[in-house]
Order: sequence, then C-alpha cells, then structure tokens
Amino acid sequence: MAQLSDEEREEILNSKPIGTWFLLISVTASMVLGWLFLYYGVFIPRGVIN
Amino acid sequence: MNDNTERNLALSHMSVAFIAFLLACIMGVYQVLERSGLFSSLDSPSVYFASVSTHGVLMAYVLTTFFIMGFGYYTASTTLKMPVWNPKLAWGGFWLALFGVVLAAIPLLTGLASVLYTFYPPVQAHYLFYLGATLLIVGSWVWCGIMLMMFYQWKKENPDELVPLAMFATAANALLWLWTSAGVAFESLFLIIPWSLGWVDTIDPGLARTLFSWTLHPIVYFWLIPAYTAFYVFVPKQAGSFLFSEEAARAAFLVLVVFSLPIGFHHLYMDPEQAKGWKMLHGIGTFVVTIPTFLTGFTVIASLEIAGRLRGGKGLLGWIGSLQWTNTMVLSVILSLLMLIFGGFGGLVNASYAMNAMVHNTAWVPGHFHLIFAGTTVIMYFAIAYYLWPILTKKPLISNNMALVQLWTWFIGICILTTPWHVLGLLGQPRRISSVVYNNLLTLSWQPYELAMIFGGLIMMGSGGLFVYVLYKTQFNPSAEVFEGSVEYAEPLHKPTDLPEYLNDFKLWNKVIAVLMAVSFGIPILQFFFMDTYDSSAWGY
Repeated sequence: MAQLSDEEREEILNSKPIGTWFLLISVTASMVLGWLFLYYGVFIPRGVIN
Repeated sequence: MNDNTERNLALSHMSVAFIAFLLACIMGVYQVLERSGLFSSLDSPSVYFASVSTHGVLMAYVLTTFFIMGFGYYTASTTLKMPVWNPKLAWGGFWLALFGVVLAAIPLLTGLASVLYTFYPPVQAHYLFYLGATLLIVGSWVWCGIMLMMFYQWKKENPDELVPLAMFATAANALLWLWTSAGVAFESLFLIIPWSLGWVDTIDPGLARTLFSWTLHPIVYFWLIPAYTAFYVFVPKQAGSFLFSEEAARAAFLVLVVFSLPIGFHHLYMDPEQAKGWKMLHGIGTFVVTIPTFLTGFTVIASLEIAGRLRGGKGLLGWIGSLQWTNTMVLSVILSLLMLIFGGFGGLVNASYAMNAMVHNTAWVPGHFHLIFAGTTVIMYFAIAYYLWPILTKKPLISNNMALVQLWTWFIGICILTTPWHVLGLLGQPRRISSVVYNNLLTLSWQPYELAMIFGGLIMMGSGGLFVYVLYKTQFNPSAEVFEGSVEYAEPLHKPTDLPEYLNDFKLWNKVIAVLMAVSFGIPILQFFFMDTYDSSAWGY
C-alpha cells in the first residue's frame, strides 16, 4: 500500500473514475464494432436461408 | 453469536455443490474427447448423451442451487446478524433437494434420462428424473421462503434502516428464483410428469417449450446474482477500497430481477409455436438486461480504480497494475469481468433476432454458455469458496498460491475451450451431436479446433480438481492452527442515507413483474388453450 497523505487519499476518494469510463467506453465501442463486423462481414454475406 | 448451525448449513450445501462440480468436470472431458472422434474406443452415442445430460444437470442445477442456498444462508445470518430462521426447515429443504438429486441420478446414470438438461419434449426420460428434478426445485423453494422471511423480519425490527446490500441481493435472488422456477414447475407438474407416468399418451411440445423458456433465461441470472453479490459486497473490501455506489448496485439487482424474466423467447426465435411479434418483444427486453450488466461493470471497476489509486497507481490505466492481483477475490473479479465482456458479446449475437439464425443450434451456443457460466459465474463461486472456507471450517486456507494457480488455469482453460467452440459454430458445426466424423472436407477442417478444445478441457479438469483439493486439504488440515477471521462486507464510498423505499423492498417490483409476465407470456400461453394444436407421442428411452 502506498503511503498517502490524508489530502491525497481524500482527493482519490473524491476523484472521477476516468480510467473506468475509458475502459467501459472502449469495451462498448469494441462490442458495437464486433457486432457490426459479424452482421455485415459474416451474416449478410451468407445470403438468404434456402 | 454462535454460528455453528449457519456454518454447517453453508458447508453442507457447498460441499454437495462442489462434489457435483468435480464429477461434472470429469464428464466434460470425456465428452470433448468422445465428440472429437479421435479416440474410436470412446465412441458411444448412448454413453455420450447420458454423460452430457448428467454433466448439464450437475452443473446447471446441482452445483448452482446448492451453492446459492449455502451462500445465501451464511450471507443472511452474517449480514443481518441474526440466526437462520427455522434451521430445521432449512435442513429439511437440504435433504429434500439432495433426495431429489439422488432420485434423478438413477435414470441419468443408467441411460434412462438422456434428455439433456433442457429435457425438451417429446424426448422422454424415466419419470424418476422429472420427480427428482422437481424435488430439487421444491427444496430450493424452502430456501427462498427462509430468505424472504429473514428479509422481512429484519425490516420489521429495523423499520428505519436500509437492508444491508448483501441481504438485499440475496432476497432479490430468492424472489427471482420463485418467479423463474414457476415456468418449469408448471411444465413438470401439468405436462411432463403425467405424461412420463403414462397417465396421458401425448404432450404438446410447443406449450412445454414456451413454459421452459419462462425459466430458461432468468435461471442464468439466478446463477449469476451470487457472483454479482460478491462483486459488490466482497471485492471492494478485499481490494482495499469502497463500493463506488450502493444506489447503483441496488438498481442493478432490481433491473436484473425485473427484466430477466419476461424475455425467454429469444430461446425460441426459430420455433414455430410463437408469433414473431412476441419474439421481437422478448428480444428487445433481452437487450434491456445489458443495462444492469454495464452498471455492474462500471460500479465494480470504479471501486477497483479507487483501490488501485490508493495503492499508488497513477495515470489513466496505471491503477490496474497496482491492484492486489495475489488476492483470490481481486484476481477472480478481473478474470470474471474479462470473460463477461466476451461472453456478453456472444449473448448480444444470440439475442439479435436475425443474426440468431446464423448461430442457432450450432456449437456457438454451448461455447457461449460455457464462457458465461463456467467462466464469469463459476470463477466467482471459486473466489467465494476460497474466501468463506477458512471462515466456515475455522482452518486457514492451505495455500493461497495454489488457489491463484487454480484460478489462472481455469481462466486459461476456459479461453482455450470456448474460443474454438465459438469458431466451430460459425463454421457450421451443430450442437447436441455425439460425433463430428463425417469424413468430408468440412468436418476435417473442424479437427484443429476439436484438438484445442480437448486441451482446454483437460486444463479445466485439472484446475477443477485442484480447486476441490485445496478446499479438502483446508477443511481436513490436521494442524491445530485456528482461523479466527470473519466475513467483512464492503462499505459504500458514500453511505446512502435517504433512499426511496423502492430501492429497499420488493413489494412494488413483485407487482411490476406480475404485470410484465402477464403481458409477455399471457397470450403466448393462453393461445394453446384456444387453438387446435396437435400433440406428439413420446420419443425416448
């Protein structure tokens, strides 16, 4: 555990979770891109069900 | 408080769960070996389907139900600081459920119930299988009753206080299970059991599948909620942090409970008995459950971010490296969330009405549910067991390093097993088959993936064995050293002081669920009584 002053600790506890936002936005964007790839890149090219 | 009864209840339930888990692991390896067709001496469709059915029942019903009951009893008593209500009844539920498992095991192991864990009619099993499964469910209803009784007793005694989050989640799961299991209970009592006993000759598979779809999706959340509970109430504390938002946690549990129920028709997209409008309605609802999943991901990762920064982590992502990766709970949540990302993505593909046609009844589907169940969910069961076992047995964990190795190997094994499984689905390999050797170019192209799956399955079996070994050696450690620790629940970063009653109770949500279920399942079920439908005769053992 890092040695933090009370001010540093308070600052961390009250800070915005920017790393979390970054991760969540990245994951969401990747999921959307992955979904679009599967839909337009794999599913649609297979054509209609015979 | 003397908690011997609660500890014994938890230990007994979880021991049954993990014995079932180990047996199912061994069967899983046999199945992946047999299906590959690379070992002709193992070739046997009848043994294969008996094994798959037993594996599914052990994992999906026995491991989960017993684990959830044991975890629930201990969570309720420790978080509310009160003894389990009516322990004799709790033991009665345990023995009833165990008797049901033994009863179901007889036809399963003798090949008279090779109907897979979904037991879709008109495939028929011996009636003992259905009776046993029903008794297991009735045993679990005892648990639900005790959990809700304790929830409301505590609320009555503490009218101005918030129910502790761990108990809120546990009671939410009990309520969810009562609603969830009603579908399969109707199916069993009114359709399958009379039919399997020979009281009627035929059965309506469409109605049976509709009733099972009532259960089939929310049951996943019944399994998952203990994992989410650990995310919220154990992980932040173990990571050296605080729960980022208790309000978000409560909202996530409520949305999960309410919206996981009226969405089961995404399992019936390709079925003829339901109209496309109803399927679309359920499909949209399925996407709603991504909201609590993202909410949970956000809240848990934000709690971890605080922990990492308190441990000296800097920058946008530098806090990840500062986390306590050697803590089994922290490691498990990281691996669990990673698997949830990929498993969740697979779920979105399944839920997409059109694209579902591409993966329907292919190997993609078992690949997906193994990743979500054995990955995201069961790895958190491991973490909870590693955390609770020393407290329950009063013996220190035999080796933290062994536990860490076990968690990593489980994660690696599941990745190696399920990635090729998904690919095989996209390549067109059907699910529910005992052999993939058709000697043509298509099936030959499947072989490298089959080999990878065998490798993954073997790693997982070794890891599962190591898990049970660590628990066994901990419990029966002859050392006189006594573990004095107790359960520690995470504190919220900002303690909620004035939450509305709807975030502290289920009465309103119970009514909302009733309305949603009536809307989404009312006409789809009633139509079977107004239309001419044609039953099937039994096909099976």
